[in-house]
Amino acid sequence: MSDLITVQNLTLQFRTDEGLITAVEDVSFRVRKGEVMGLVGESGSGKSVTAKALMHLNAKNAVYTPESKIILHTDEGDLDVLSLRKAADMKVVRGGAISMIFQEPMASFAPAISIGKQMVEQLMLHSDMTKKQARSHSIEMLDRVGISDPHKRVDQFAFELSGGMRQRAMIAMALSTNPKLLIADEPTTALDVTIQAQVIDLMHDLVKEFDMGIIFITHDLGVVAQTCDYVSVMYLGRLIEKGPVREVIRDPRHPYTQGLIDALPKLDELDKPLTPIPGDIPSPLERPKGCVFNTRCSKIVGDVCMNDLPRDVQVDPVHRVACHIYNEEGQA
Amino acid sequence: MLQFAKFVLTRAVMALITLVIVSLVVFSLMELVPGDCAERYLAFKNTQGSSIQIANELAAERVRLGLDRPFLTRWVSWIGGAFQGDFGDSCILRVNIAQLLGSKFYISLGLCLASLALAYAIAIPVGIIAAASSNAFLNNGLRLFSYLGLAMPNFLLALMIMLIGTVYFGETLTGLFSNEYRDAPWSWDKFVDLLKHAWLPIFILGWSATAFALQTVRALMSDEIGKLYVTAAAARGVSGGKLLWRYPARHALGPIVNSLGFDLNRIFNELPIVALILTLTEAGALLIEALARSNDQQLAGAIIFLLTASIVTLNFFTDVLLAVLDPRVRKSIIR
Repeated sequence: MSDLITVQNLTLQFRTDEGLITAVEDVSFRVRKGEVMGLVGESGSGKSVTAKALMHLNAKNAVYTPESKIILHTDEGDLDVLSLRKAADMKVVRGGAISMIFQEPMASFAPAISIGKQMVEQLMLHSDMTKKQARSHSIEMLDRVGISDPHKRVDQFAFELSGGMRQRAMIAMALSTNPKLLIADEPTTALDVTIQAQVIDLMHDLVKEFDMGIIFITHDLGVVAQTCDYVSVMYLGRLIEKGPVREVIRDPRHPYTQGLIDALPKLDELDKPLTPIPGDIPSPLERPKGCVFNTRCSKIVGDVCMNDLPRDVQVDPVHRVACHIYNEEGQA
Repeated sequence: MLQFAKFVLTRAVMALITLVIVSLVVFSLMELVPGDCAERYLAFKNTQGSSIQIANELAAERVRLGLDRPFLTRWVSWIGGAFQGDFGDSCILRVNIAQLLGSKFYISLGLCLASLALAYAIAIPVGIIAAASSNAFLNNGLRLFSYLGLAMPNFLLALMIMLIGTVYFGETLTGLFSNEYRDAPWSWDKFVDLLKHAWLPIFILGWSATAFALQTVRALMSDEIGKLYVTAAAARGVSGGKLLWRYPARHALGPIVNSLGFDLNRIFNELPIVALILTLTEAGALLIEALARSNDQQLAGAIIFLLTASIVTLNFFTDVLLAVLDPRVRKSIIR
């Protein structure tokens, strides 16, 4: 499988009145064609900021370090996303090579513009279709994601659709331009569990059909286990563990990932008390020195956790973890 | 389309109902003022030296004026006339109110509407651009202008401009018409003459209205710009002017349209003071006269009714406009 996008040493800070706040630090990963990568973490872990960086969508006060590289591999060659300066040039990435769907389908449609008009606008920006062609393609896409009566729905507004229907329409819009990569930022969090499953199935089918990559952002490890091929776990802006999804979930190596999995309620052991990770994620203004997880970690090995950043070590052929428990060879 | 016509019709009927209710309130207020027209006439006759027998004459006068009829009957006949522009006679000035008002009310209303139009013509584009821009110079400049506009009383501005006009340009800048046109019948030349004089009250009334509207537009726009659908549109590749005007600006317009009726009322309230200073006898001052000096309830009632009718009409138009702009409004009423 060929690479779609490569992120290298992505460090992103926000310039604020309190000074520079680090939101993402030294994150590297790649997504390949036909692959679903889960990006997991609590609120404030930097997962959404990372995803937005791929489309250069972060606020104007975002500062990228010179070492940060986001390379999009297209048929026409490699494109350095962060080198794009003008919004008009970013069109290639935004809605062209990459589409994004958001957590709140209601809020991500403009309320006073019909769904069809928003879809047609996007299609006309990214292709040389006429208005009429764009409209019939939009109807076709709505039909494809399982929206009944697409001829009628295309002229409706977001507030006239149900929650699940809206997210389907969002998916239809995101895929209509045939992007290489789909970023789904908690696409099912706002939906009912039953609808959630339908939407996940739909996304799964469409990825295969369109042969693209997906970055699936969520805090729900259950959804990750069902949906993703690979998973990357983020904590306070750092990528602390990554690997094939089954391996990471069956055999988590980082104390944080272990904590996340232990914190999940288990249907077969209902009497067992939940074991949450103690404490809260620190404010980005007070990033701990050393390992970012040292304020909550139950497996501190010594001063090294307080003073040194853990190296990213390989514990299995494709399973990497950043924790002082493991030595260079990946042994505990 | 048919549905939309139905919506417009419903709104028009509702506006009419509002007006009827308003007329009841206004008429009741007129009745609350102590003394009635019969007493006024007799008091007037007294001053003219004719001897009268109070009790008999009063009853006869009441019958003559129809004041002996029940309240509801009188109200119905009053609004019957009011909707045709006939407000009866003022019993203090003893002239027909419609004649007395003449075009005065419409000139006043015109001044207010022109100020309102000026305010929004400036506030909408400038407010939108200011909210979207991160230019500190532009933003601070606008803030300064807004504070000046909000803090400086209209009469002070009017006095300052008059002073400057008189001292430096030798123009008096007062009144709405040149002398030769004051009592002349309406003609194109009279209208041009009016425009030559009207810019000053329009500017003064528009000044604080602009400052106020600017704040409103900017706040609404800042609110919209931060919304997810704007980010989502940017993520689809929409950029530049299209991203600004088609998305947040368009969606901020709804609440702006909503504030028009309220603003008209505010400007109308400020008109009398400005009219007093600029000696615009043609406008607003009449209301103060009617209300404060002579206790002329017929005249005051007529003016208040006309003003409310204007605001109700404006609200009707803004409602229709809002429905055109926002499908949520349109579809919530049309089912």
